[in-house]
Amino acid sequence: MDFTLTDEQKMFRDTVYRYGKKEIAPLCEEAELKGEFSFEIWKKLADMGLLGLPFPEELGGSGADVVTCCLAGEALGHAGVDGGNLLAWGAHTYLCACNIFSFGTEEQKKKYIPRLASGEWIGCMGLTEPGSGSDAASIRTTAVKKGDKYVLNGSKTFITNAPVADVIVVFATVDRAKKHEGIAAFIVEKGTPGLSTGQPFHKMGCKCSTTSEVFFEDCEIPEENLLGSENDGWMIALSGVEWDRSTLLSPFLGASIYALELCAKYANDRYQFNRPIRKFQGVQHRIADMKVFVEAARLAIYRVASSKDNGQMLNPLQAAVNKVYVGDVGFEMASEAVQIFGGYGFMHEYPVERNFRDARLGAIGGGTSDIMRMIVSRIMLM
Amino acid sequence: MDYELTEEQKKLQQDVAAFCIKEIAPEAQKLDEGPREEVCKLMERNLKKLGKAGFLGAGLEGAAIDLIDCYIAGEEITKACASTYISARSSVFMCGGILKLFATPEQKKRFLPALMKAEMIGALAYTEAEAGSDIASVSTTARKDGDVWVLNGVKDVVANAIIADVLLVLARMEKGAGSEDGMSLFIVEKGARGLDINDSLETMGLRGVPVSVVKLENCEAKEIVGGETGKGYEQLERILKMGTVGIVSFCVGVGKSCMEKATQHAKAKKSFGKPIGLYQGVGFKLADMFTYNDLGRMLGLRAAWAMNEGENDADILGSCAKLFAGESATKIANLAMQVFAGHGYIKGTDIERLYRDARFGEICEGPSEIQRTIIANNELDKFM
Repeated sequence: MDFTLTDEQKMFRDTVYRYGKKEIAPLCEEAELKGEFSFEIWKKLADMGLLGLPFPEELGGSGADVVTCCLAGEALGHAGVDGGNLLAWGAHTYLCACNIFSFGTEEQKKKYIPRLASGEWIGCMGLTEPGSGSDAASIRTTAVKKGDKYVLNGSKTFITNAPVADVIVVFATVDRAKKHEGIAAFIVEKGTPGLSTGQPFHKMGCKCSTTSEVFFEDCEIPEENLLGSENDGWMIALSGVEWDRSTLLSPFLGASIYALELCAKYANDRYQFNRPIRKFQGVQHRIADMKVFVEAARLAIYRVASSKDNGQMLNPLQAAVNKVYVGDVGFEMASEAVQIFGGYGFMHEYPVERNFRDARLGAIGGGTSDIMRMIVSRIMLM
Repeated sequence: MDYELTEEQKKLQQDVAAFCIKEIAPEAQKLDEGPREEVCKLMERNLKKLGKAGFLGAGLEGAAIDLIDCYIAGEEITKACASTYISARSSVFMCGGILKLFATPEQKKRFLPALMKAEMIGALAYTEAEAGSDIASVSTTARKDGDVWVLNGVKDVVANAIIADVLLVLARMEKGAGSEDGMSLFIVEKGARGLDINDSLETMGLRGVPVSVVKLENCEAKEIVGGETGKGYEQLERILKMGTVGIVSFCVGVGKSCMEKATQHAKAKKSFGKPIGLYQGVGFKLADMFTYNDLGRMLGLRAAWAMNEGENDADILGSCAKLFAGESATKIANLAMQVFAGHGYIKGTDIERLYRDARFGEICEGPSEIQRTIIANNELDKFM
């Protein structure tokens, strides 16, 4: 048992934190108000080498372990970078590029990873459909083999980064009768005839990650763009869980630390009834609850991350516990932060307002809290 | 970074669990229901069994206290019988731990091996009617009379007092007794003149723990822990800070017991043709029980590790863990009761007992409100 980070990991976290605070966070408020993807911020993330963290150096990455990837997300959230930009970062790196890296051929890796890692190309992943959310195995987008091509038809929704993406890892069924065993994954490039995206959705939070529908109308892609083999799709989709339940949650942890610090400063500085509001236990005890959340969430997230680094099989219980706790309690804590700021917390100018909206995604994206409870209870009842 | 227990730690866990299921768990209901005299005898026997097996002193055998071992043994003993753990902890960790950390070599030699084998039982008497969380208000006094100290005061809730061979008693030094205005922990042995432990108390839960009022009327004490006056407050403070780990192990042990029993029930009990666990209203409760129990354990082990390593924020992590696990134990016991519904409400069932036992975690040794204040002030001070 050892809960320490290596010196290298600590140094990396601190460097990313300082960089995020100085270079990125000041750009976030305006970008968030516009609700648009910010290429300026994207460039900043790329300049720091954050878009290709887990990939080997020969493919343009940094060769970082999972704990280090989590530290990057935590540090950026802690620095005040909004949830939207971090979601865009996560979907690009972990849902798109990691899938290509883990399941792609040498040719696919060489073609896509360096360009994704440098940020020249933006990636996304398409699984969810209008009629298939939690029940992901029921997808209706079809892929039909025609000669040396696959023809894709169907539509995807809630696809993070889709409006700006150059590369999409998309899941489609080659045989609906086989249900999840008939699902395949494909790499589709921007500009492929028959591929189009809808208008970006107006979202409650995480606004700097643009999200839209993706349509495939007789969209022909070369057969070499199949990722893995024809019935690997479901396994590929599930393998992302390790990233979903560690690296993609770490920005939520970072944002909670940021909110806690803002609240602590505010409670020290704000006077009512001739004393700082920290003297009121109602305020004080909320600060304590946020701190407890931060410590518990940190343990939950890094437990999943370090188990992957140590070569252990993902423990589905630990992964689900992590997701449900960070999602549900993280949002409660974001709400408490707004409460401490009172009327100011309701104003857009205060980051706790943004954090409240961003945090709501935690219990929804990447497997809802209900699905997590379903997983845990099923295992318990086995 | 590695969250796994070492092989040795896993072995300790398995050994304690196996022993306790066989030797301790069967007594849990008797300890809850029995008349006081029988309960005391039974508890002494349980402690002796644990002592003989070598598990009573888990974490205390080495040069320093190993709180991870304390945690591991604590969770498993509690899972078998919550009362037995609290009684064992009062003797070996609260009384024995203070002696291990602060006593003179002679005092250690005289008491520690005996406490770890349960040849002696210890108690720590500090709480008073007007001095609970606010320990600085202790009003029990000590005055010097020749070679001995004479104690006067009332300690109002003392675990193990009735069965204790040795009590550590916190008292304020009177003028002329040395270290003016300071406090000291006095070693009071069973049968000391002026020691009255006959006012035994009935508790809601943990009814196997022999709790009583300790009245000191010109009670004689020959020794002070460590020999030096005026150190009692710091000594007590230290053991209470480290003690959060044991309370977490208690909370998680009770929670795990609740969770396992509720899961069994949810599998076996059918309603409308299917096991009730398959209804989300029940299944999701099981999932929440697991989540809070699991994270409570991680926080407890994290704090234990931090204290073992001497990390700067170790005590705050202990407070976070105690707060989280204490409230989780209450929550989990409540959910378990709901899963059992009427069947859990019957006297003599495990859940009915555990529900009462669980409530202790949030109120003992710095209730949740005090933990929140400690945690919050620490955080707020960073941003003054």
